[in-house]
Amino acid sequence: MTTMTRRELLKTGTTAGLVLGAPTLISAQSKEPIPIGTLCPLTGAGGSYGPDMQRAVVAVVERINKAGGINGRPVQLFHEDDQTNAEAGVRAARKLIDVNKVVAIVSTWASAVTLAVRPLCVEAKVFVIGVSGADAVTQGDHKGYIARTQPNTNLQGRMYGKFAATKKEWKRIAYMGLQTPYARSFGDAFSGVVKAAGATITDDLIYEDKKPSYRSEVTRVLATNPDLIMLGGYTPDSVVMVKDIYKTGYKGAILAPSFAVNAKFLEGVGPEVAEGVWHMDRAPLFDSPAYKEFLAAVPGGDTGPYAPQAWDQITLVALALAAGRGEVSGTVIKDNLRTVSNPPGTAVYSFAEGAKLLGEGKKVNYEGASGSCDFDQIGDILSAPFIVQQVRKGKSERVMIVNP
Amino acid sequence: MPPFAQYVFNGVVTGGILALPAVAFSLLWRLLRFPNFAVSTYLTVGAYVALMLNVGVGARIELAWLGALLATGTVALAVDRITFRPMRARRPFSLAIASIGVAFILENIVRFVWGNDFRSYAVPVTRATSVAGLRIGRDQVLILGVAVVLMALAQLFLLRTRLGIAMRATADNPLLAAVKGVPTERVIGWATLGGGALAGGAGVFLGLDASVDPLMGGGLIISVFAAAILGGIGSAPGALAGALIVGIVEEVGTLLIPPTYKTAIGFTIILAVLLVRPTGLAGARG
Repeated sequence: MTTMTRRELLKTGTTAGLVLGAPTLISAQSKEPIPIGTLCPLTGAGGSYGPDMQRAVVAVVERINKAGGINGRPVQLFHEDDQTNAEAGVRAARKLIDVNKVVAIVSTWASAVTLAVRPLCVEAKVFVIGVSGADAVTQGDHKGYIARTQPNTNLQGRMYGKFAATKKEWKRIAYMGLQTPYARSFGDAFSGVVKAAGATITDDLIYEDKKPSYRSEVTRVLATNPDLIMLGGYTPDSVVMVKDIYKTGYKGAILAPSFAVNAKFLEGVGPEVAEGVWHMDRAPLFDSPAYKEFLAAVPGGDTGPYAPQAWDQITLVALALAAGRGEVSGTVIKDNLRTVSNPPGTAVYSFAEGAKLLGEGKKVNYEGASGSCDFDQIGDILSAPFIVQQVRKGKSERVMIVNP
Repeated sequence: MPPFAQYVFNGVVTGGILALPAVAFSLLWRLLRFPNFAVSTYLTVGAYVALMLNVGVGARIELAWLGALLATGTVALAVDRITFRPMRARRPFSLAIASIGVAFILENIVRFVWGNDFRSYAVPVTRATSVAGLRIGRDQVLILGVAVVLMALAQLFLLRTRLGIAMRATADNPLLAAVKGVPTERVIGWATLGGGALAGGAGVFLGLDASVDPLMGGGLIISVFAAAILGGIGSAPGALAGALIVGIVEEVGTLLIPPTYKTAIGFTIILAVLLVRPTGLAGARG
């Protein structure tokens, strides 16, 4: 019979204890859900988009949890309504951060809301990813805690320009932008692309909001004989502007953002005035496997460009956490976002695919429903497809997709 | 370089619309001795009454316009009876401030009932026809014509009717007129009714020419003020001339400065007139 020394006994016992105890330790940890918040506009001006965005997030989380969670831990969602209002958004974000202890907030919509919750989240080291377009959203020092899947105004301007350049008959182009913080950067990016393609910018004018008539502006611009008027505004001013342009008898083309030329616009100007107006907006990646899965999971989620982005946002957050190898925090997400979204790496189209490869120690590059989801250093996406539509007989019809 | 004449023509149309509230503003100032800043908001009231009749009830725009004249006149009269009449003896400054308050209240009532959006009348948008290189809209010609006729009627009324003469007498010297048996309050009542109606009618024109929104009238106050000061307070023909000049200068001015700063032109006119000729164009009686 062998006798154990005290030292040996101690060693064996500790090892045995560790071996026996470890699984319970791990399982205690693995059962604890990872809290993530959604801050979609369920009411207010964004109320027609928020619910679909939230549905997309919920659908992805169901898939993540079914696939075994993130490194074995399920995701628990906390939903708040920002009411498309900065103040309500801040209150909701406070609750998500302080009470629910979320590590990330996904799917903010209005730029005003994202900007308002930004300092809170950066301070609490909570990662935020949304669809807000204003340049300011990703500017300044946010330490990487802010990202978005919506193109910034520079990218938007370049994509509009790329489309305009495909129309050879648009040789003389005038730009009319509503006085907003991004009218200038949008206009400059647009002009740069069309000029490089050989067109002339005949006039470049920034107009004031809330004017009952834009006749003097239109008179000035039409005096330069444009073939295309590029309008950069919102619905209310675009209604007045397009009517004033129509009244002059202008026979050329008009191009505007789809968020301005929407159902309300068509109702406001009537089918005759709206006839032939071109408009474009960020599109999802229609052919991507992720988009097909999205549409199957969120039927009717294709009414706006935002729900596919929400789908991608939660997937990216989950993949970034999966790449964090067990550590769970906003910092892990921001540190790993580009690792899982940008090349190099194997292209993956869902969390399950990505998590499997990450588990094998491989690099992944998520290609989403809304686009290829590659981010630059400040958190802006590098490219996005756009969809061009034209008003024909009072209805918007899809004409083409402009790919990056 | 765009055709200069187009700017002048656009300015004449703007001036024609502006002339109606400018005349009302100018005459009421002369009569009641305070600038009634609510006058420009009467445009908004008129425009929305017509919108309610035209889009809501489906009345023809001509009928809606008549309805707007009546309703806005009545609103102006009610405002006078409720707010300004109890304050008649106060200093002009208090009354002017009260009128700004009235303007805010009316504007917010409109906002509350109809919302903030731009609206349009149920009339087809027509394309302008080109006459000798000028783009002239059918609505523009119609608006200008009716405005001119209204102005002529107002002037005839002031010069030829007993009530008009009583108004002018009260404007010149309210005490003397009252002593001579002019029923001052009745005169003020009719003038307010007429002024409100003119402004209300102009509101419909503005809504036709541009669009209807809660700020449409309030946004014009500087231009109306400039036209009245330029024309000389209390003179109807002066206000008409002032309005045309302000309208034309505002339009032509966009050749020199960006349209964004259009409002500044009205301010500049006010300052220039006050510095150079404080009595205005027709202001011998100033």
